[in-house]
Amino acid sequence: MTSTLNVLKIENLSCNVSGTQILNDINVTFEVGETVGIIGPNGSGKTTLFNCISGFMPGISGHLYLKDKEIIKASPSTRARLGIGRVFQNFGIFRDMSILENMLIAFEGKRPILTTFFPWAKMNRVHKEQALELLGRVNLAHRASEKASSLSGGQMRLLEIVRLLASNAEVFLLDEPTAGVSPKMKDEVVGLIQSLIELNKTIIVIEHDINFIQRFCERIVVLDGGKVVLDDVPEKVRADPRLQEIYFGKA
Amino acid sequence: MLAFFTSDYVIHLLILIGIYFIVAQSFNLSFGFARIFNLSHIASYAVGAYTTSLLATELNFGILPALGIGVLLSALFSLIVGGIAVRLEAEYFAMGTIAFSAMVTALLINWKSITRGVLGVPGIPRPVIFETALESNTQFLIFVGVVAALVQLIFGVLYYGSFGRSLRAQGEYENGAKSLGHDTGAARMVSFILASMVGGLGGGLYATYVSYIDPSVSSFAEMVFVLTIVIVGRPGSYWGILVGSAAMILLPEIFRFVTMPSEYLGPLRQLLYGIVLFLLVYVRRANLFPVERKL
Repeated sequence: MTSTLNVLKIENLSCNVSGTQILNDINVTFEVGETVGIIGPNGSGKTTLFNCISGFMPGISGHLYLKDKEIIKASPSTRARLGIGRVFQNFGIFRDMSILENMLIAFEGKRPILTTFFPWAKMNRVHKEQALELLGRVNLAHRASEKASSLSGGQMRLLEIVRLLASNAEVFLLDEPTAGVSPKMKDEVVGLIQSLIELNKTIIVIEHDINFIQRFCERIVVLDGGKVVLDDVPEKVRADPRLQEIYFGKA
Repeated sequence: MLAFFTSDYVIHLLILIGIYFIVAQSFNLSFGFARIFNLSHIASYAVGAYTTSLLATELNFGILPALGIGVLLSALFSLIVGGIAVRLEAEYFAMGTIAFSAMVTALLINWKSITRGVLGVPGIPRPVIFETALESNTQFLIFVGVVAALVQLIFGVLYYGSFGRSLRAQGEYENGAKSLGHDTGAARMVSFILASMVGGLGGGLYATYVSYIDPSVSSFAEMVFVLTIVIVGRPGSYWGILVGSAAMILLPEIFRFVTMPSEYLGPLRQLLYGIVLFLLVYVRRANLFPVERKL
């Protein structure tokens, strides 16, 4: 039995897709309220690790515990209902829907399908109010009825992250949250991530830029070739010669 | 002028618009909203039409209970098709459903002891409501109008409620919907069943209106006609389907006012449908089918 402080525990996780070993015996634990950065060169398995955690990856073995509950066999939607939130590298928002609808859809993920037939239910009004309140935090409330495709990259990212609050996520998997985001918006995204930290959410961020990730992560996990090479506080990771080796090759 | 609008000819066209609207709106639920390309929709329609007809003629059921059972059998049919075909990915799903549709046509033609094969089912009675048989077309038009309005109302609730939102979400980006906790498979299946039921209802209405059906009700040409209505009306549109139904029923009628030998008339209609479908597919090619997105 793991301690209740562990919100997410990955044990002996391996991923093998048609003969290629993408992840190899990963063991990492994430604690409640922790902010962890995941770095590593291209093809090191960062996004695959997120896919494994959120349930989108076939061919995985090992154990995955969310608050001590084994979820390795659960479907992506079940995992989402249990509290795993995911931000996709190339924007997971629904462009054909309005910004408000993008929020509502997050509230509605947990509803049993039969209750979704009644648009006049009181729940809908409550959700709408909460959605507008959350949109206000990222300055999008006044644009709620516009199509999501009208947003800039940075705004899409803000929407996607704030949407996870609506779906009541506890673990935030942010896959390159600042990719395709303008420098000015980058600060806003970081600000939003920091507000998640204040809410005691567990945040796991994939990024390329170690300087950037250091701004808010208390711990950094370095992946290379599908293995965890380093898992430590940023200062120690930076000082470790293995990091240089991974990125620049042996001296 | 008023005489024209109340003429049998116009009332006949309005009834057809009503019936095809019901069939097309239900197809729109799967094709336009859920973004599932279900080409066996016309088979659901045929299941509804045949069930209603055979119950009413062979077993002397009233038309209304026969319609109800037709709707239920269409639901059962969709459960079978869905249970098997929903596992397939989009393109293969379309092909798989064509196969189911072809099977239904083959059954209707060959299972002669029940369906009377190509002879079809004649003498299908009109519905009786409050002890009045809807023998006149005006009465039948009111009946179809009420049913179509109810269908539109129910679909409005489905489209604009959170169920419709969930369907649209999985249609646009399935993994995105899953990552927010939506059971996309269940939503698709429910939409599939509902669409099939209402399609079956349309089939039953058609049978009781024209009083005779044969296996051509499940022909692929008929499926293409319904598909064209939805594409004309814009897939995923709520009122557009009504416009599409009216346009596609009324469009070939222009030939009626052109003096032309009748042997040209039939092929010309098919040609016209073909041109309309082609042009619209060309214009809407960018957003007819969902664009695949990576994780």
